[in-house]
This record gives sequence, structure tokens and C-alpha cells, in this order.
Amino acid sequence: MRCEGTFLIQNKCGLHARAATVLAQLAVKFDADITLYQDEKEAAGDSVLALLLLESSQGKYVKIRCEGPDAKSALSAIGDLIEQKFHEQE
Amino acid sequence: MKLSSIINKDCSKAAVLFNSKKRILEYVSELAHEQLPQLEQHHILSALMNREKLGSTGIGKGIALPHGRMEGIEQVFAILLVSEQTIPFDAIDNRPVDIFVALIVPEGDNQQHLKTLSAIADKLKNKEFCKQLRHASSDSELYNIIAAQD
Repeated sequence: MRCEGTFLIQNKCGLHARAATVLAQLAVKFDADITLYQDEKEAAGDSVLALLLLESSQGKYVKIRCEGPDAKSALSAIGDLIEQKFHEQE
Repeated sequence: MKLSSIINKDCSKAAVLFNSKKRILEYVSELAHEQLPQLEQHHILSALMNREKLGSTGIGKGIALPHGRMEGIEQVFAILLVSEQTIPFDAIDNRPVDIFVALIVPEGDNQQHLKTLSAIADKLKNKEFCKQLRHASSDSELYNIIAAQD
């Protein structure tokens, strides 16, 4: 299965180290290849280093593509995490 | 951004000998205080420790990016430590850590912080570069590896 969606980075700090770590920890729970895209850059969802390279700041849109048996639930969970501002207050 | 623009020669330390997260963060705070004397060492240590409490900065592959936000500085300040032995750091992949890029970050500047993290990640994604860092036998050799990569 393959699915994708686009999400707005809403938290003030963007995809900084802690947010990237939380996202990667979530990504590894699913049986799916997860890739994030922003502008011309792409990153494996389970790699904090790769996610930091995206330099995704507040207001940026990231596209997420998931492929594999858990694709749908992975996309939903990661999308929720981004929309919930990575559980950050602002 | 060049790594050598945020890490100076006095803050590149090869083959350091510590055996715990706390000790390595104490050493980071000592070095940072020497370079940024306007910041109290215990404040720096508190900022680093508090950040770790929110979740380990061990990002996997033997690498950690301990950092703390501090008032009283204008720009990011970084310290590179390579440990002779790996140190348990509660990293995301459960691997112990031997490469530490510690950051003292000015309060507030989120955009610049993301740029700094991205620049560091861009270097550390290179396995050969990490191997060179791990094999550096002196502080000057370690610094030269960073400068050459820039």
C-alpha cells in the first residue's frame, strides 16, 4: 500500500532535534517506508540526521509518502503528530 | 554554514575519557564556560541536563547533539568531543555514543537553530567523515578534519 499527504509545520521551533527524534521514534513503529519531502529535499522518516537536513521551520509544508503494509496508519499517526505540534506548547 | 565557524580549535577534543552522560555534559559546560565566561558553568550544565530530561539528544549512529538554550549570547557556540570509549546516552537506536556535537544556542532564534542543525547533520551523515573524527588522535587533528570538510 502506498499513500501520501501534505502537512503544515505549525510548532514554533519547527522540525528541530527533539521533534525530529519524536517523529523518527514514531516512524520505526510501522511496517512502512516513510519519506518526507520539503522543497527539493527528502529524508527517511526514521533518520533524525536526515530529518534535520530538511530544515523544516514553522510555516513550511512537508509531504509525507508511506509505502508498505502499515502505510495508511503511519501517515495518519505522523500527520497527527505534526498537527499536534509534536506535543509542544507553541 | 561552516562547522569551523562555530567550533574553534579549543573546543575540538579528541579521545576524551569519560564514562557517563553526566560527566561528558559537565565537561561540555566547563569548556563552554571557558569560552563564554559571561555564562555561569552551572547554568550551562543545567540547560544541557534539562534538555536531556525532555528526551535524549542521542540521535543514533553513535552521535549525540546535546544542547541548551541560553540568554546572554548572540550566536551559537559549538563544541566537538570524540570519546575514546562509547558512552551510554539513551540514544534513539540504543547505541552508545562517541561523537558529541554540543551546542549552546541563543534563546529565540529558531530559524538560525534549524540552519545550524541542518549544517551539522549535513556533515555527520557522511560515514567517512564520522570515521575520520573517531580516528583523530589529537585535538589539532580533529579540528583539521572539520576544517578540511568545510
